[in-house]
Amino acid sequence: MSGAGERPGRLGLRSRLIATFALGALSLSVLMGALVYFTARHTLVVEQQGAALRQAYANAALLRNALAASIPSIDAEVTSLDTGRATASLLNDDGRWFSTSLSISRSSLPTSLRSDVRSGHVSTVTSSQGSSPLLMVGVPIPSVRSSYYFVVDLSDLEHTLRVLLAALAAAAAVTTVLGALVGLIASRRTMRPLTEVSTAAAAIAVGDLTTRLPVDRRDPDLGALSTSFNAMVDQLEERIERDARFTSDVSHELRSPLTTLAASLEVLESARADLPPRADRAVDLMAGDLRRFQRMVADLLEISRLDAGSGDLALDEVVAGELVRQCVAAASRDLPEADRPTVRISPEAEPCLLLVDKRRVERIITNLLENARLYAGGATEVSAEVPADGTTVAITVADAGPGIAPDERTKVFDRFYRGVTSGRRGATDGSGLGLSLVAEHVRRLDGDVRIVDGPDGVGTAFVVTLPISEEATP
Amino acid sequence: MTDRILLVEDDERIRSSMRLSFEGEGYDVSEAGSGEEALDRFAHGDIDLVLVDLMLPGMDGFECCRAIRRGSAVPIIMVTARSDTHDVVAGLEAGADDYVTKPFVPKELAARMRALLRRARTDEESAEASTAIGDLVLLPDEGVLRRADGSEVHCTRTEFRLLCELAATPNKVVSREQLLERIWGYGYFGDGRLVDVHVRRLRTKIEPDPALPRHLVTVRGLGFKLVP
Repeated sequence: MSGAGERPGRLGLRSRLIATFALGALSLSVLMGALVYFTARHTLVVEQQGAALRQAYANAALLRNALAASIPSIDAEVTSLDTGRATASLLNDDGRWFSTSLSISRSSLPTSLRSDVRSGHVSTVTSSQGSSPLLMVGVPIPSVRSSYYFVVDLSDLEHTLRVLLAALAAAAAVTTVLGALVGLIASRRTMRPLTEVSTAAAAIAVGDLTTRLPVDRRDPDLGALSTSFNAMVDQLEERIERDARFTSDVSHELRSPLTTLAASLEVLESARADLPPRADRAVDLMAGDLRRFQRMVADLLEISRLDAGSGDLALDEVVAGELVRQCVAAASRDLPEADRPTVRISPEAEPCLLLVDKRRVERIITNLLENARLYAGGATEVSAEVPADGTTVAITVADAGPGIAPDERTKVFDRFYRGVTSGRRGATDGSGLGLSLVAEHVRRLDGDVRIVDGPDGVGTAFVVTLPISEEATP
Repeated sequence: MTDRILLVEDDERIRSSMRLSFEGEGYDVSEAGSGEEALDRFAHGDIDLVLVDLMLPGMDGFECCRAIRRGSAVPIIMVTARSDTHDVVAGLEAGADDYVTKPFVPKELAARMRALLRRARTDEESAEASTAIGDLVLLPDEGVLRRADGSEVHCTRTEFRLLCELAATPNKVVSREQLLERIWGYGYFGDGRLVDVHVRRLRTKIEPDPALPRHLVTVRGLGFKLVP
């Protein structure tokens, strides 16, 4: 069984187990059947031979007496012999042959038998005459220079043995099927813990690190498997936590110098009037990059907080129209009037109630507008409507930029993913986390985000769908 | 009169840069590198607003807040490491009026400070009619809340202002957003926890049984109302 497991089998473990059980049952029943068959056959044949011998001796004795008494009708004497189940009796009285059977004559007897008997030995031989097997016993009667042959038809015996063989074969077949069934049940029992392991591993793969296997201490094999599996998950969880903690720690540590820089820069900015033009330009550059730096650290902190699962939701029931308008206003606060996207809320979407964390929605829209600003020359329109199924509000942020190729549309939500077209602008403009934060926030709000072609096939549209609060439906 | 700010922060560089920035905005600045030092400074100086970092060596920011709160209604802004509920709520429970998270934008902090200082002044100037709330009497013009026996119920300025806002329209619901805007000067995205924590603190002072409020009532999904 273990040998089969080491081969890279084409069959599954379950099929291999069933096959092993079936094969085991088959070979065992074949072995037992063969043993029964040959024992039975041997016993029956020996018995038959013994009976035939006894009968042959008795008949030979009768014939000897008859021959010695020189009875004239020897033929009748042979015919009247008690032959029991025998097919034929043959008498060779000094060259004259007498037979009780038409089909069996002198020529039916093998020469080996006849020569054995001629030389004075009692001899037994089995041979087949046509289809029926025959047992032939030859007894020499030397006193009257004769020999007697007794022939028994073994067809009945063969028939019995055939029936026995058929019964044994049927038993073997049933045993094999039963073996396969036992294999199936055993494989189910064996597979159950494996199925549990597989389910647990799948849960871990999608990020549920709290998954553990129950440890069955009564079963040393499975107990060991569960224990080592759990130990592995512990290790994995610890490593992931350590990574997340590292990101978080680094970001935290960066905040103190950032605070100092921001406060000092503000002092410089307020003293611009006194600065020479070159220094003034330098302050501009510093201010720009400091904002970016702050944004990156804030994004990193946000994502490590989301990873740690500690970012709690402050859910409020809010009106969709107002939410979208407020979010766009907050996100485009620092943009010149001309660069702000138009806002279009459909009459159906306007009064819908959403159970959301307002500030997370604000982060989503801010990041989408920022993304459009960096890679597509700014968003053109933010719209909200209720799709056909009526259970969600779809918020669309559209731009008139170069668009995103279909095969890149899921990748852009990966952390630090930079698309082919994004290389054009300074590759460090964004934090590289904006869209992955969008995806994460949307997920936390039980929503969905996807990318479609922009209006009229121009540019890109990010569509964020958020579920309409059930309590709100009248 | 220039407002004097007590800056409680253990990082000396941050302290120096913030002093520069605040002085640029026209404030007087006192610095403290630890909670103990802050209490000492507070006892000696005439402080109008306290800015306290929650992560301090020795006595932490929460303890520092509580200690200052025991004897004063001075506006307190806390600087938290993160905006998670635990830190924010614990800080507000300890007596802070508002919070900012690091890394903060100095302009934002300045706006928060102005909102609190303005409120502190307008409280003193407000002149509204007195309102009875159960056994208590709210005297907005005097800035006090009195029990039936004439003794004063100690409230922070934020709590007092919250009570005045609700008392101005008794039995009418005021939303969280309205309270955030009127008291803290926040817009649509203000943190509702600010209101919730201050309402909770206020209940412990005005309700006979804070777990079953009769005067400061929550109207689910809408906001709060005052039932005199």
